[in-house]
Amino acid sequence: MSHLPVLPIVLPAALAAFILMTMRHHLELQRIFSIAGSVALTAIAALLVARASDGQVHVYELGDWPAPFGIALALDRLSAMMVALTALLLLAVTLYAVGAGWDARGRHFHALLQFQAMGVCGAFLTADAFNLFVFFEILLIASYGLMIHAGGAERLRAGFQYVAYNLLGSTLFLFAMGALYAATGTLNMADLGVRIAQLPAEHAALARAGAALLILVFAVKAAALPVHFWLPGAYAAAPGPSAAMFAILTKVGVYAILRMRATAFPESAPALAGLSEAWLLPAALATALIGAAGVLGARGMARLAAFGTIASVGTLLIAAALFTPQSAAAALYYMPHSTLAAAVMFLAADMVTERRGDAIAPGPRMAHHALVAAVFFLGAVALAGLPPLSGFLGKLMIMDAARGHERVAWIWGVILVASLITLMGLARAGSDVFWRPAEGEGRAENREQDEDDAAAGPGPAAPAQPSAALTFVAAFALLAALAALTVLAGPAMRYADAAVAQLFDAGAYADAVLRRP
Amino acid sequence: MELLFASAVGLLTACGIYLILRRRSFPVIIGLSLLSYAVNLFLFASGRLAVNRPPLLHEGAAGYTDPIPQALVLTAIVISFGMTAVIVMIALSDHLTSRDDRVDAPAGGAADDGVEAPAAQEDAR
Amino acid sequence: MSLFLIAALPFLGAVLPALLVRASRNAAAGTAAGATALALIGVLTHAPAVMRGEVPMARAPWVPSLGLNANLMLDGLGLLFALLILGIGLLIILYARFYLTRRDPMGKFYALLLLFQGAMLGIVLSDNILMLLIFWELTSLSSFLLIGYWNHLPEGRQGARMALTVTGAGGLAMIAGALLLGQAAGSMELSDIIARREAVQASELYLPALILILAGCFAKSAQFPFHFWLPHAMAAPTPVSAYLHSATMVKAGLFLMARLWPALAGTDAWFLLAASVGLITMVLGAVTALFKDDLKGLLAYSTVSHLGLVTFLLGLGTPAGAVAAVFHIINHATFKAALFMTAGIVDHETGTRDIRRLGGLAAFMPVTFLIGAVAALSMAGVPPLNGFLSKEMMLHEAAHTAWLGSELALPVLAGLAALFSAAYSFRFVAHVFLGKPRLAHAEPPHDPVVWFWLPPAILASLTVLIGLFPQSMAGELVRAAAGAVTAGAAPEIKLKLWHGVNEALMISAAALAGGAAALALHGPLARVWAVVAPPAAKRAFDALVGAATAAARRLTDALHDGDFGRSAAIFSVFAAGLGAWAWTAGGAAPLGAFPAALGPTPPIPLIGWVCLVTATLTLTALHRHRLLALVLIGVTGLMVSLTFSYFSAPDLALTQISVEVVSIILLLLALNFMPRETPRESSAARRARDLAAAAAAGLGVGAAIYAILVGDFAFAPISEFHLANSKTGGGGENVVNVILVDFRGFDTFGEITVLGIAAVLIYALTETIMAGPVRARLLNRRPAEPQAGDAHPMMMVVATRVLMPIALTVAVYIFLRGHNAPGGGFIAGLIVSVAFVMQYMASGFSWAAARQRYPYHAFIGLGVLVAAATGMGAWFNGKPFLTSDFGYVKLPGLEKFELATAALFDLGVFLTVLGAVLLALESLARYAWRPNIASAHPMDIDPTRDEAAQREEGR
Repeated sequence: MSHLPVLPIVLPAALAAFILMTMRHHLELQRIFSIAGSVALTAIAALLVARASDGQVHVYELGDWPAPFGIALALDRLSAMMVALTALLLLAVTLYAVGAGWDARGRHFHALLQFQAMGVCGAFLTADAFNLFVFFEILLIASYGLMIHAGGAERLRAGFQYVAYNLLGSTLFLFAMGALYAATGTLNMADLGVRIAQLPAEHAALARAGAALLILVFAVKAAALPVHFWLPGAYAAAPGPSAAMFAILTKVGVYAILRMRATAFPESAPALAGLSEAWLLPAALATALIGAAGVLGARGMARLAAFGTIASVGTLLIAAALFTPQSAAAALYYMPHSTLAAAVMFLAADMVTERRGDAIAPGPRMAHHALVAAVFFLGAVALAGLPPLSGFLGKLMIMDAARGHERVAWIWGVILVASLITLMGLARAGSDVFWRPAEGEGRAENREQDEDDAAAGPGPAAPAQPSAALTFVAAFALLAALAALTVLAGPAMRYADAAVAQLFDAGAYADAVLRRP
Repeated sequence: MELLFASAVGLLTACGIYLILRRRSFPVIIGLSLLSYAVNLFLFASGRLAVNRPPLLHEGAAGYTDPIPQALVLTAIVISFGMTAVIVMIALSDHLTSRDDRVDAPAGGAADDGVEAPAAQEDAR
Repeated sequence: MSLFLIAALPFLGAVLPALLVRASRNAAAGTAAGATALALIGVLTHAPAVMRGEVPMARAPWVPSLGLNANLMLDGLGLLFALLILGIGLLIILYARFYLTRRDPMGKFYALLLLFQGAMLGIVLSDNILMLLIFWELTSLSSFLLIGYWNHLPEGRQGARMALTVTGAGGLAMIAGALLLGQAAGSMELSDIIARREAVQASELYLPALILILAGCFAKSAQFPFHFWLPHAMAAPTPVSAYLHSATMVKAGLFLMARLWPALAGTDAWFLLAASVGLITMVLGAVTALFKDDLKGLLAYSTVSHLGLVTFLLGLGTPAGAVAAVFHIINHATFKAALFMTAGIVDHETGTRDIRRLGGLAAFMPVTFLIGAVAALSMAGVPPLNGFLSKEMMLHEAAHTAWLGSELALPVLAGLAALFSAAYSFRFVAHVFLGKPRLAHAEPPHDPVVWFWLPPAILASLTVLIGLFPQSMAGELVRAAAGAVTAGAAPEIKLKLWHGVNEALMISAAALAGGAAALALHGPLARVWAVVAPPAAKRAFDALVGAATAAARRLTDALHDGDFGRSAAIFSVFAAGLGAWAWTAGGAAPLGAFPAALGPTPPIPLIGWVCLVTATLTLTALHRHRLLALVLIGVTGLMVSLTFSYFSAPDLALTQISVEVVSIILLLLALNFMPRETPRESSAARRARDLAAAAAAGLGVGAAIYAILVGDFAFAPISEFHLANSKTGGGGENVVNVILVDFRGFDTFGEITVLGIAAVLIYALTETIMAGPVRARLLNRRPAEPQAGDAHPMMMVVATRVLMPIALTVAVYIFLRGHNAPGGGFIAGLIVSVAFVMQYMASGFSWAAARQRYPYHAFIGLGVLVAAATGMGAWFNGKPFLTSDFGYVKLPGLEKFELATAALFDLGVFLTVLGAVLLALESLARYAWRPNIASAHPMDIDPTRDEAAQREEGR
């Protein structure tokens, strides 16, 4: 039997434990193992995608107990794709953290990063709702560690809020789980779906409340209005590479919404009819707008990236809220885009912050000015959803999918207006940070220097960067992935369509997971 | 009995939430603990309540209570223990670093407040 | 040459100069010119076929599900624009090589210029409207970078941002419009859309699509009221202005209007919108241009005016108008590019573009004068230059069209525009090149090197040649392009210079005369204009953007001001509300049969309830006394534990109580460093708000749990399986434990990982804190009250030493029996931890640490690894992760006992728990290390060094 589906969980966990046990004081070794582990995870993810593309739901029964009694992992196109996205992001973030020396500013960065990957992969693979809770906790607690890595008053204060808010979220998760178990007597997602579809009317209220609250928990993770308040402060205060890695966390929330709505909470069931869209769609629209407003109003680079993340999640949630096959496919296309674009922006923000501080204000030319500007500019193009990068295609798809919806004018209007506001904010920030010389600084003496400052080295304010080259490799790798997503939009969309067809075929999923004939 | 249980859990929740809304880290942590009691009891109750029917297999038992919620609550207790330890330490480190145990963060990343003027100037020029 | 290759060449050419940044300036210009020339040759190879009426295509599917395909076509209209883009592009490349100075990065310039060129070429070659949109937005982006090329200048930055905002906004409107149009036509292919005029115009989506698309076109082509960005884009280097504002960027809007003309034109809405806006823009631009003192400003407004002219012609919706529009696009491109280049040469040689400071340059720069004069006269519409021809056609159309019910309005307004057009053209010549020199030159300006003036000279000669021989020079091209615009409805016309005396000629003559008069009266007129001029749009725009930014900032700052309580309250209330809505929206009764379940209440639960409620309420009321709060929460925790015990959950009770002990120790240690009291700082209103939020949440939870308890499962819970299979399949009698280590062992694996991460996090956190300034502060901390008595009381030391082996024995016992009776690795781990903690408390951290042989990290790592390895062990049996195996072993002298791999897994749990708790407490204890209490420890700190550190910090 193939143990492939469990590897994305066991490998990072074992690697992290191994790092903790044997190489606590050897940063170089940690780096080597961490990068090797990320590469291995990427390879495994590629195998998973290949495996999943046969259209089957591959079930892995942990402990050899049949679902719903034991915990099962289920590998389908969607989960394989999400694991691959995680692996890619992990690799880039690891390289960046090594290159920027972030991993040397506190202990155990690499172990925490691997644990984070374990939690995220587990959340994408599990077919059990309570097990999903456990993986949420793993990815959350690892993210707490990554967020407060390297300390500092502002970061710790933001960290406290981040932890406390997410503890509220975890508590709500358990309340919802309790209500669902009390109503249905099961924990497996597929089994939940089967049982809820047959739920007698007198039990419906409990299941409805449980389902709605569980979706709310995922909305908290995804940072939808009005439960997004944890994000700006936390992500802005987090170390750059941590925040970049967190780009996948909001997507875990969106993934869970899609998965649960398709598998566990069938709205075709009388018990759950019309449960989610009524509030999810307005929330998503408001999220996109508030994110865009935050980008326009941001005073610091990191906050700009954080609100940019919110804006793109809002757009993504619009597609997730509509929940038609077409909109879900658009969401699946937009998902990797939104993740990678947000990660690039956090890396760009970190590059600027490391060199001349976080403020969006005129400042001195910095080391590698042109390269940093290029990363920011391309990241901004992606985040604002402008051509030629994939964000534009993603938005087009989402708008296209909203055609015929009764609120189509609202949806289109919000997507377009949010794009414009984001664009204005990014143009303002880029022009202030990269173009405007500080007071008293005139035109740079030798403009040819512009392209030549790779040789200039870090300025006096910049802390020594062990390997700036590695940081740019990481950032441009993410941008290259975005470019690939654009050029290969056709195949990507075919994959997304197939993944959605599989996602929406709850019967086949249940057949596979519950071993129904 | 159901009413007693429900009212107790409701009270724990309400008191937990009230304390979480205070402005210093210590009551927030206490509130989170109360809330975790409440949710553990809630989760526990999802298997319904039974007296003298522990899920320990032995012959002649009249019946067993539902073991699944117990296992879930055990997991939840352990996890929330870890989380409590983490948040206590973060609160303590925050307090030691900023000599202040407030919960609220300075608005909008106050560190860069000073830059607003020049940025606005350019727009106005 | 394939259209794909043609479209790709500029982009390839953009990459090369970017890579050649270190190469010479000529190399950068050379590669750019080479790529452009190749593309131009490619287009020309197709030209004969296009002239014959063929439409070369290149198709490639991209995202078929969206209707987005990389389909390219080259029809007459595309050919005309491609020739303009590439031909003028080539001249601009040559010109820019001599215009830019050594301080301007050449590679960057050409890379951006070719990026822009590629985007423009993409627009005119696209056969797919979504594909066109992509290139459309790309022109906005690349022009943003080009306009901001001199980003050390505030005008450059602001102009770039304004252009991006306005054209970007237009582009977004266009996205919506294009999607609607595609829907109305049933296809995203332009060749399909323009063939389905009836379907499009009959659709109810026609009007919104038209408005949105025209908004995009108007924004791009600087039509009123979006025209204001164009003059500010003049901050760009002059080659950029010459390129963007003659042949390319601003023509993109006109191109699209022409492209969609067959599908959209001909309706009243089209006429009213396009013709009116074009007319207003034409007049407004012409009048404003006359009073601009900046050379490029004059040209900018004249561009606005001429773009309005073409928009007006297209807006007429008649085939003849379309022909005139196409012809004027060519003519405007030639004379306007030449004029911009002339202005650039003047600026380059004299150092100023201010018309008021220029004059008499004809004597110094005869070649430049000649070029500028020819081009300007063409712009004025003076025969026999090409500008005259298309202007005549425009006036002819205007003279025969009614507008807003008036026959006279159009000819008068068009004539007025022509008059001012003549006036500013004359001014360009007269005030710059003629008259007396007004500038004192250190050394007299002179004509530049031939390569610098050659590009505008070529264009100027074109204006003459087209003017003299219109049919042979441009006739075929105009015919082909007009044929494409009108979908074959264009009349067969012969372009010629002389049409005889007609209304158009009379208006034209009057306009030229009037223009000369207006120039003579320029001084007085300028004073009048200063009074009546419309307010600068830039100020309004800046105010708008400023207000939007400020509002966005106020909104987001107010919402995200770091007030945790408010966001948590919103969360609580929203969750409670959502739960209540979900509960009731399905039509269910709020609660089940309420009183029916009220059975008799036994006394023990009642007592427990009273204790719990009292403790909790007291805790909440007196929470400001932190020590008391800790005691009370201990009581609450105890009551919760007893509740578990009472309701048949012995494992839970044991776990809860041991977790409680460790948590309280942790909190006590932490409280040692924190204030003992919480200050009273919430207002009454805030407390009321918090109470309401709390009550909402509490009521919700209470109601839900009550409903659960009085109801029953709808289906048999899965736990029946676990009860039935625990012994036979899992080998244990304690079903909860078997679930934890076997049925749902994966949860437990995750749970110990959480615990391990928690400890690692805490360790990393304290390491970080202790590496910073806090360490010095902690060391210098004076205890609030003197330490009471002996730090390590003998009694306690002895007691803990004795307790240690007992605790270990108990732990082993609890661990082993876990599978069959309450207990297990987790509780055992906690018990051992508590024993260790007692040692610490009694003997001090250093004593214990000295006897600590293995680092706690290792425990955690080992624990997780043991658990993982146990799980992986099953792989060798061909079973999934965590499959357990058990068997009964009979050893001589002992009873038969059971060995399960689950026990090994539980050992992993034990190790992790032990390591995690001890690492966390050890980390916390590090805050408490004090040199005067702890004995010398290798990591203890030399206080003198810390004073130094503190001084450092203070600096």
